[in-house]
Formats: sequence, C-alpha cells, structure tokens
Amino acid sequence: MGQATLVQKMKEKAEAVQTRVALVRSMEEALTAAVEITLKGGGHVLAAPGLGERHEEAVPFLNELCRSRGVDLLMENLRGHMGRIHTAFTVGDYAIAETGTLVQISHDEDLRMATMLSETHVAVIPVSRIRPHALAFEPEMLRILQRPPSYLAFISGASRTADIERVLTIGVHGPSELHMLILEEEPHEEAPS
Amino acid sequence: MISTPPDLKSYKTQLRRALQNEFLATTLRTFASAYRLSRANAFEGLDATHLVEEIARGKDAAIPYLQELFEQFRSRAEAAGVKVHVARTPREANEIIASIARSNDVRKIVKSKSMTAEETFLNDHLEKEGFQVTETDLGEWIIQLRGEGPSHMVMPAIHLSRKEVAELFTGVTGEVQDPDDIAGMVQVARKELRQAYVEAHMGISGANFAVAETGTLGLITNEGNARLVTTLPPVHVALLGFEKLVPDLRSALRILQMLPRNATGQAISTYVTWITGANQCATGPDGRKAMHVVFLDNGRLTLARDPVFAEALRCIRCGACANVCPIYKLVGGHNYGHVYMGAIGLILTYFYHGRENARAMVKNCLNCQACKSVCASGIDLPRLIREVHRKILKEEGTKPVKNVILNLVLRNRRLFHFLLRRASLAQSPLASGERVMRHLPFFFDREHEFRSLPLLAGTPLRDRWNQVNPSLENPRLRVALFGGCLVDFVYPEQALALVKLFAAHDVQLEYPMEQTCCGLPAEMMGEKETARQVALQNLHSLDMSRFDHILTLCASCGSHLKESYPRLLEGEGDAEPMVRGMVEKVTDFSSFMINVLQVSPRQFQEGGAKTAYHSPCHLCRGLNVTGEPRELLTLAGLEYTPSRDEDVCCGFGGSFSVDFPMLSAEILREKLDHTEDTGADVLVTDCPGCVLQLRGGLDKRNSSIRVKHMVEIIAEQKKW
Repeated sequence: MGQATLVQKMKEKAEAVQTRVALVRSMEEALTAAVEITLKGGGHVLAAPGLGERHEEAVPFLNELCRSRGVDLLMENLRGHMGRIHTAFTVGDYAIAETGTLVQISHDEDLRMATMLSETHVAVIPVSRIRPHALAFEPEMLRILQRPPSYLAFISGASRTADIERVLTIGVHGPSELHMLILEEEPHEEAPS
Repeated sequence: MISTPPDLKSYKTQLRRALQNEFLATTLRTFASAYRLSRANAFEGLDATHLVEEIARGKDAAIPYLQELFEQFRSRAEAAGVKVHVARTPREANEIIASIARSNDVRKIVKSKSMTAEETFLNDHLEKEGFQVTETDLGEWIIQLRGEGPSHMVMPAIHLSRKEVAELFTGVTGEVQDPDDIAGMVQVARKELRQAYVEAHMGISGANFAVAETGTLGLITNEGNARLVTTLPPVHVALLGFEKLVPDLRSALRILQMLPRNATGQAISTYVTWITGANQCATGPDGRKAMHVVFLDNGRLTLARDPVFAEALRCIRCGACANVCPIYKLVGGHNYGHVYMGAIGLILTYFYHGRENARAMVKNCLNCQACKSVCASGIDLPRLIREVHRKILKEEGTKPVKNVILNLVLRNRRLFHFLLRRASLAQSPLASGERVMRHLPFFFDREHEFRSLPLLAGTPLRDRWNQVNPSLENPRLRVALFGGCLVDFVYPEQALALVKLFAAHDVQLEYPMEQTCCGLPAEMMGEKETARQVALQNLHSLDMSRFDHILTLCASCGSHLKESYPRLLEGEGDAEPMVRGMVEKVTDFSSFMINVLQVSPRQFQEGGAKTAYHSPCHLCRGLNVTGEPRELLTLAGLEYTPSRDEDVCCGFGGSFSVDFPMLSAEILREKLDHTEDTGADVLVTDCPGCVLQLRGGLDKRNSSIRVKHMVEIIAEQKKW
C-alpha cells in the first residue's frame, strides 16, 4: 500500500469512528492546533506528559504558546490534577489504518492519566508510523510486549457506550473527543511497508 | 442472586410472563434486525468463513495444552512482577480475591465487566465480606444497582428501558432524570463513577486474552472503564477462565479481528488494552502496581479433555449466538440462560452452574442453526445443546414418558408405521371434511391452537407407491426418494408432484420401502442410541449402488442425513464407507432441478403468481442451499417477492412447537406478518415441517395466501 493510500485509509477509518482527523506539517503546527482545540472547547488546562522526553525541542514552544494563550500546561504528576485536565496532548507510537486505531505505549502513568481523564485527546501520529493492519504491526508489537512492564493502548475513537436502549452516546468514561493529527514528514522519508 | 427454574412447568410459566413484556419484545426485535445489518457491514471485504475456521483451528490446537500455556503465562507474568493464582472453584476464586483485598487494606473496589466474575458471583461474595464494590461499565452498573444479573454478555442491560434507567438514576442522584435525555444519564454515570475510581483502592477486571508467550492480558472495552480500573487504584486483580489463554500474540490479534465485528458490528472496540507485568503506579508499593491474575478452572480443565464438549471452550464471549436466536429475541437473556445466556449459555450452564439450572432450558432450542452460522469460533452449538440434554437425561435416569415411547416405537419401523396408519383412522372424528383437524385431540391444551394441524393422509405414500410410480424404459438417472415421515404420512401429494415431474424429465424415482424416520426427532429429544439405530436402518435401506442421487423433499431429513449420519455412525465398521457414499448423493429438490436437470424458463409457464419464499433452517444453514430455490422460483415464471427475515425460523422445530407452543406461536406470527407484508398470493418453502407450521398458521388467520412445497408449485408451473 502506497503512503498516500495508507494515509487516506487511516483518515477514512478513523473518521468512521468519529475521530477528527487533520494533516499537519510540523510539531509546532500540531501543538498550535491542540491549544486552539482546548480554547474552542472552553478548556484552560492542557497536559502533555512525556513530550519532554520525546520532543524536548518542542517544549519551549509549547510553554510559550500556552502562556500567551492563557492555557495551563501540565507535564507530570498528573494524579494531583485529576478532574482539571481538559486536553491531553500525546505523540502516538503507531497507528493501524484498517481500524483507524491509534497505538500508544502507555506504561508511563501520567500518559494514561491524561488520555483517560481528559475531555479531549489530541494525538499526533507521524505518517511513517502508520501500519496497514494489526497483523502487519504484530512483529513490532511483540517486541514491545517482550519488554515488560508495558501498558499498550489501542484507541479507536472517543469513549462510547450504547448501554441505554442501544443509543450510541459518546464520552462515558474517557475523552469525548479524539483528534488525530497526521504528521506528514519530509518527502524522502519512506514509510516502512 | 439470580434463580433459574429447575423444572419445565415453572420455566414455561416464566416464559409466558416474559412474552407479556412489550418493551423487551420490541427492543430485542429491533436489535436483531440491526445486528444482522451491522454484522454484514463489519465483515465486508473480509473472508468471515476463513477467519472462523482459523480461530476454530487455533482454539482446538490450544485447548489440549491449557495447563502448559498457563505455566508459560505464569512464568512470564511472574518475571514481570505479577502474582498468578489458580482457583479450582468459584468459591476459591472469590476467596483469593477477598484475601488480596484484605492484605492490601482495601475497602472500596471498582470493577470492569467480567463474565467470569458473574460466573463466580464475585460481587455478592465481596459485599458479604464487607467490601464496597462498584461496577463501572454503564450497563453493569445499572444492573448492579437493580440487583440483577446481565441479560446479554455484551449488552448487560439491554432488557431495560430508558424510563427504568431514569427512575433508577433519579434514586441514585436525588435529582429527577429525564428518560429522553440519554446523554444526560450517561453524564450522571460519568460523574458518579469518576468518584468511585478515585476512591477505590483496588480494581478488578476480566480479560479477553491471556497471551502465554509474553504474559500479557488483553482487555476490550468501548467505554474505557477497564483502563481506569487498571490504572487508578494501586491494586489490580484480573479474573479469567483458563480458556482465555492463547499461545501467542498472533492468535490474540486474530480473535480481535473477529470479536468486535461479531459482537457489535464494530471493526474494533474503542479501547483495546494490553497489560504486561506490574506497571508504574504512583500510589502503589514502590511506585508500581500490585498486580494479581486469577485463573478460574471451575471444570474447564476437565472439559478441555472431553471429546464432545471441549469445543465449548472455543467460545470468545461475543454474544452473537444470542443476537440471532429467535427464542432469545422473544424472551431475552434472563429467561434464556442462567449466568451465561443464549446458545452457549444453555451449554455452559450445565458445566459451570450445574444440572438443576440447565435442566429445563436446555430443551428450549429450535435447532434452527442460526447460532451456529454466526459463531465466531464455529462451535456446533445446536449439537452441543442436544448433547447436554442427553447427558442430563442419562444422569437423571428417569426418562419422560414420551422418550420411552419414542424409543420403543421408532426403533421398530413396522410398529411405527402400523401406529401411524391406525392413528389415521382414529383421527376422523377430529376432522371436518377438510384436510385439517378442527378440534385438537384432548392432550393438547389451548396454547396449541395457534395453528391448525393437518390430518394424516388416508393412505400413506408407501402404500400407493407401486400404483403411482411409473417404470421408465431408459431413464437418464435413477433417484431414490427419502420421503421422511411428513411426506410419507401427511403430505404424500408433495411426492406425487415429484413423481409426475421426474417422469417428464426421464428420471426414474424409487421409494426404498425399508426406510423409516430419519431419526432427527430422536436426536432432538436426547435419544442418541435410537437415532443411531434408525440411521443404520435407513443406510441399509438405501442401496447406494443403484442410485445416482438421493433426493429428499424435507430439508430437515436432508441435513440430518448429510450432517449427523457420519457422526452417529462413526466407528460402525462397514457403515462408515456407506455413509460417505450416501452423503455425496443426498440432495434437495431445488438444487437437483437447477444443478442436475438444469431446467430452463421455456419449460415453464409465464406470468405466475406473486410468490413469497420461506427459507427452511435446515436448507439454508443445514445444507447451505440459498441461491437455487430463489433461482428456481424465478426461472419457473413466478414473481418472487423477497420478504423480511426470510431465513429466520418459522417456529416449527419438530417437537419444539409441541413443548413450547407459546414461543412457536410468536415466532410464527412474526414470520406470517412479514409474508403478508409482501402482498404475495403464494408462500413457498422446501420442507414439509415448515409447510405444516406456515399453512396451519395462515389457516388460523383465515388468510388467502396458499402455502406450497416447492415441488408442488414447480409442477404447477410446468408446461405439460
């Protein structure tokens, strides 16, 4: 599957489970989108656990952005902030196009807190990390599971239930919105097939 | 605590009560229709049959090695800081979990949905021990507040209306809830349960997989509650049955491809969580989670060695067998199961919750095969239900009178046919100059009046065969007719139509006189030995070397011959190769006309009646024949008009309609409503049992729709 087809399928399948998908060209663009989504949703607190370890260079930008837009930025010790987090900003580790799934390595507790207890989850996923289907992801997934402890999350859309008269209702326990920002990389960077 | 009637009489009373529940009927009917559609959509572009076979193969390969898989899982998980326990009984499981709670000074517990915990009645135990347990799956929370068990494995509160939930939540919050504001009620749960997560010291979950190669647990939810349950409290206990063990990640991913699609028609559930080892937890000992995994045996490891029932352990708890069951659709899971419900529930109840709870409901199966056709792991559910029934009869030693009579009569063909001839004489006072009984015999009560019953034919087919069947000079084919009791003794005219048609096509038909009942009724009543003896007799009556084909007008006989005979006669020496030869030759009428005789439209009249079709269970699922009957109708010049749920059972089910007339009547009512909606003049089907049911029901409605066996309408349409 070519990269363009893969991205197209990812988008289509993610949207089929009410994930809001957008393409971004840089981490800065993604962070800006996350802050705007927060403000638009009436939120004032954004948590970005793990960003420092993964994208240290983006932290000063986000700090400044949040300061200027009046958004509180939380990076760690999120247990102390349960109930306050409006937006969780994360960088996804993989994605599975066939089911529109975001894959998040979540052994870090703050990452789990943020993605479970926020109202809105905004995840960036680099194009090179999209896999066509779960079985194609199996070898990489197996390597993750072989290095415990690990808490690996497949997330496909926002939290939902149909337990009252089978009426689909979004946002029962976890976030009621999932945004997936597909990060397009430099053209020469080929996605592994 | 749930209770299930131990005897048929009180079970029937419960069923009658369930049928009065209009909300349940409407909601389950809508669900059944919606499910069929969403399931079909979810499998689009996927080879579902192949996936089922792969899962079945994988499960069958793993089941004999559950103990070994467990050891592998334990060593991986313990190396990653998890404590692994084995509970032989439900009580042991509950006590292990209570003791983990005590040793961690737990008072409040949050729980995500686990059928295994329902199986052990874990909440009752923990509450008795003084712990406060809160279910966090919305449906589970609702039924917990009501003190009920789940009525569906995936949608535990499907039996409740929004009004009932609103009343419940009004009580919980002290604020009046608007039943039409479902989103608002979901928010109530969000708010209330958030608090429970934060306060809880222990989280209990189930698991959908235990991956042996890595020591990983896999959990599937839509709400995300399992994530919170396994993250917020410092202690996590997972309770699961041994059968959740899979050798490797690949096997788990394959099941994941199937489970959400088959359960709810979703390509994937919203959250799939893979936990390996004790993860980071700020409030846990040394900053890590105290993690325990409890494997429940409760008979599973013995079941795994059972040559017949091990197959039941393939179940992945998707609930599809309930979703398509015509009986579940009428009465719901509280009346069609104990803890586990639907077809698999009828089977597992016996093994996990005992004979008492299984005894009455195990009889409540139409054998319509709808469950088998959607089972995620290809379990032959109707067969296992019959096997459980048989096991119970055997263990209890005392057989119902009708079983004793059946065994006596069916094993002796001459006696059986003699009695049928005598019955034909005895019924005359019940008739009214027509072919139906106007008064039911005394042993039927009023519940059976939903359909009129046909009279037995004055002269059975076998007694007139030699006069009516012409001998052809140089026939192109020789075909044996396997009549079946209904064609022979009730509807010989169906066979006469066939005789006429075949003569015109130069096909020599023969009726081997030693043939008798196919034996399906015996199998349905749990009488396998009688079924075997009758099978052997029929096999010897059909001299395979003389016939090119064996044709049956009864889909039930056909599917029983083809599917059950090889199993019934396994290890019978000479019979085995004979069965193989027979199975290849068995065919139904429509397939024979289309595939063998290759009839064409010019052989039929044009402008035939507007025709609806009922697809018999044992034809479309038993014999997998779906295209030919419809093709034949159209080709024969009839105006075929599809109706809703054409392949859903008509409610006959042989002795089922006598044992459970109230259910049979409801299933039939819906079928006939759909038929009438088409505006058809004729309703065609390919099974005399369905003819009996449909014609009897339409007669009671004074309907002008005529019911015809396929062979009759085709003979009518033929240009002579």
